[in-house]
This record gives sequence, structure tokens and C-alpha cells, in this order.
Amino acid sequence: MSRRVEVDQQMCEGHGKCQAAAPEVFEHRDEDDLSHVILDEVPDALTAKVDRAIRLCPRQAIRWVS
Amino acid sequence: MSPISPEAAATLPHGINLLEGRLFQANEMHEAFRILRAEAPVHWNPGTDRFNGFWSLVKYEDLLHVSRHPELFISSKGIGGSGLRYPPPGQGEGSSSIITMDPPRHVKMRRLVNKGFTPRAVLQMEPKIRAVTNTILDRVQGRDSCDFVLEVSSQLPLAVICGMMGLEEEHWPAMFDFTNQILGSGDAEYQARVAPDKVGTFEGATLTAADGNRRMNGFFRDILADRRAHPREDDLVSILVESEVDGERLTEGDIVAFCNLLVVAGNETTRNAISGGLIVLCEHPEERARLQADPSLMPSAVEEILRWTSPLHHMSREATADTEIRGQKIAAGEKVIMWYPSANRDEDIFEAPYRFDITRDPNEHLAFGIGEHFCLGAGFARAEVRIMFEELLRRFPDIQVDGLPERLRSNFINGVKHLPVRLTAAR
Repeated sequence: MSRRVEVDQQMCEGHGKCQAAAPEVFEHRDEDDLSHVILDEVPDALTAKVDRAIRLCPRQAIRWVS
Repeated sequence: MSPISPEAAATLPHGINLLEGRLFQANEMHEAFRILRAEAPVHWNPGTDRFNGFWSLVKYEDLLHVSRHPELFISSKGIGGSGLRYPPPGQGEGSSSIITMDPPRHVKMRRLVNKGFTPRAVLQMEPKIRAVTNTILDRVQGRDSCDFVLEVSSQLPLAVICGMMGLEEEHWPAMFDFTNQILGSGDAEYQARVAPDKVGTFEGATLTAADGNRRMNGFFRDILADRRAHPREDDLVSILVESEVDGERLTEGDIVAFCNLLVVAGNETTRNAISGGLIVLCEHPEERARLQADPSLMPSAVEEILRWTSPLHHMSREATADTEIRGQKIAAGEKVIMWYPSANRDEDIFEAPYRFDITRDPNEHLAFGIGEHFCLGAGFARAEVRIMFEELLRRFPDIQVDGLPERLRSNFINGVKHLPVRLTAAR
């Protein structure tokens, strides 16, 4: 099983907490100073890390896509 | 403030009434919150003839829940709790700022300015913040003592936000005064402009906040006219003047309310984080010695200072539909109050929450809130607190609190009005 996750670019303000929590999944890009998802499908092994990123995001900009 | 009725008072757990600014002025709220977390994590605090009652939320997870649902728990019916009636009469003038705005308009307005507050923007400003810090400290260099609030802690955040807005230095003292009137309206010290017989009364507080807002808004209407006549490129006021939301320019009222919020929120809370930080460092000499021996601990010490001081006591929201929190039914139209100092000492989240530990990890405190209304200025606040303590402890390694702090009478702002300090080693 794998799932998709997304960062709401309207909400993101580039705090970088998600990249710190799950660097395999999130990347802060200099060009727009925002976080981006770099993995189309998140494997189960990374679910806990993504859940942590979701919880820590200051703007609560990250969510699983069902 | 009018007392709550005896019948209502009888329902209060252990008689704890969180409408009372005195509880916070005496710094006795932490014990009250400890009791509430254990015995009444979601309880109804009855109102009075002048204030609404509210559901008190004291658990970390409940604050997260409310913050994550900005459509269910809205800000546009007031955010400062019934105790402060914020925005006070006279603030709105038909317009509101982002702090009392809901989705979807909130994020559109916030995005007009938020690029100026990102971690990257803060990093670029750091050399300037450090220079301003040293200019402030130069003024007290060579002296034995000072009022740390008036001369040091208030001056840095005031300079940074006023600088970002392009305000000339001659206007900064007025911004400080207006802010004190608006956020400190319930404290007699800031009621100097009301009639003597009104000082210390509910009416005195209402008049003081309205007077502060009237003067602040009047000031910004003049600034706005000036920027329109003489456009500048890089200050926040000019950015707002040029901005559009949904294809429409902002109204004068929108811009004035935005500027009011930026100044007030930008200079009051960080002042109190710095003052509260010095107090707690002086109260914990071992942690302070550890920090002074290893300044690389500063970023983590700043997080612990923020958790410990929780510069904002609360935010309130209003439920838009019947709902439940922790099994307690909340009806549409009822208010809930999120108590940050309580969430930041929640035993379920923080190990040994009453221990001040500058290397605490993890330390996911909620001092800046979270989600839709996460503090826009959090990055600047962190940088200002960190740089101030880096420079302060380098230049005044023996600084000590030298007398009792004078605290603000407020259940909204964890304010310190005056803090006598000795700058040099005692002789």
C-alpha cells in the first residue's frame, strides 16, 4: 500500500518543518521559498514520518489525499 | 469588572474564574491550569452581565483540534475572549484585520504580506536586527541599572516592526503608547487619558482601548495619505496600498486595520518574551550558566523561553455548529477559549513540564498557535529573542533582575510592564 500526500501552496509559508521530519518526501525549494512533495506515492515505511510532518506543520498545510 | 453571580460562582471548579486579570497579574494561573487539566479539562466558565461565558480549553490536543478547524471555530466574532472584548469598540470601523478574519478571505489577505515574514526574509534581516540590538544596548552601557522593559526589551521589536513599515523613528514612542492602551487597556497604568473617576473601572478599560485605536488608526490614515502621494517600494504600508484581493484594491479601512494589527502584534508579544526570558533565566541560575558557557544552545533555549512564558495567554473562537470536544457538547454560537500557557505545560505532552530545560527536545509548544492563524511574525520573534540574549549575555554577563517585576493586569497578554535590573556585578 502507498498513499499520496499534498502541501497546500496557499497555506505553506516555508517553515521547513516537513522537510526536517520527512526529507524523503518533502523538499523546500529556493525558487518559491515553499515546500514541495517530491515523492508521488508514499510507501508505508514513511507513513509515520509524514504523519509527524502533518502534525508539526505550523500552518497545517499538509494532508493525505484519499 | 462586575463579579459573576453567586450561583454561577458555585459552578466554578475550585472557584477558579479565568475572567479575572488578577489571577494572571499575580502569575498564579499555572497552578489553576494544573488543577483544571486534571479535573475539568473542558469546563464552562460563566459570564457576567458584561462578558459572555465560554468553554475553557486547557489540554494541548484540544487546542490543536480547534486550531485545525478554522471553519468550525471562527475568529470573526472576536479573538480576545470575553474578558477583553477584543477588538474593542472603535477598532473595527467597519473593517477588520486578518486576526479576526476567517477562511477563505483570511489567507488571501495574509498572502499580501507573508513573503516579508518567511524564514528566508528573517535571515536576510538578521544583521540589521543585531545592529539595532547593539544600538539599544549601547544606550544602557556604562550604567548600573535600568528598567529592562522600557529601555531594552520593548525597544527591539518596536524598532523592527516600525522599520518594516517604514515609520520614522520619531513616531515609534507613539506606537508604543497606543499599543499599551489597546492591549493593556484593563491595567490602570495605561488609563492615564480617561477621567480619574473612571480609572480602574470597566468603562475606563473600554475608553482606553477605544482611545488607543482611534489614535493609532488616525496616525495610519495620515501615513496612508503620505504613501499614496509619495509612493515607496519596500515598506509594508506601501505594499498594502498597491495590493488587490479578488481584483479589488484594499479599502482605507482594510489597510489601516492591517497596519494597526502589524504594529500591535509586532511589538507587544516579543517584548514580553524577552522580559519573561530574562526573569526565567535569572530564576534558574544553573540553566543560565549552561547557556552562557555554550551559546550554541541559544536556539533551543529560545524555544524553552517561548514555552515557559507563553506571551499570549489565550485566543478565543466561536463555534459555527453544534460539536463536541473531549466528549463535551459545544453548541453553535458558544465561545471556546484556548489557554496557551496550559497547553504548554500539559503533562500528556511535555515530560516534567514544570522543569525549565534549555535543551528540551522535543519542544513542540503552541506559543505561536498553529494552523490558519499561526503567528505571522513567529520567525521575527524567534530571531529577536535569540539575538537579544546573544548580545545581552555577551555584553552584560552579570545582569540580574533586581526587584519584583510589575506584571500587566490581563488574561490576554502575559505582559511585564516594568522590570528593574542590575546590569553589572553587585559590588
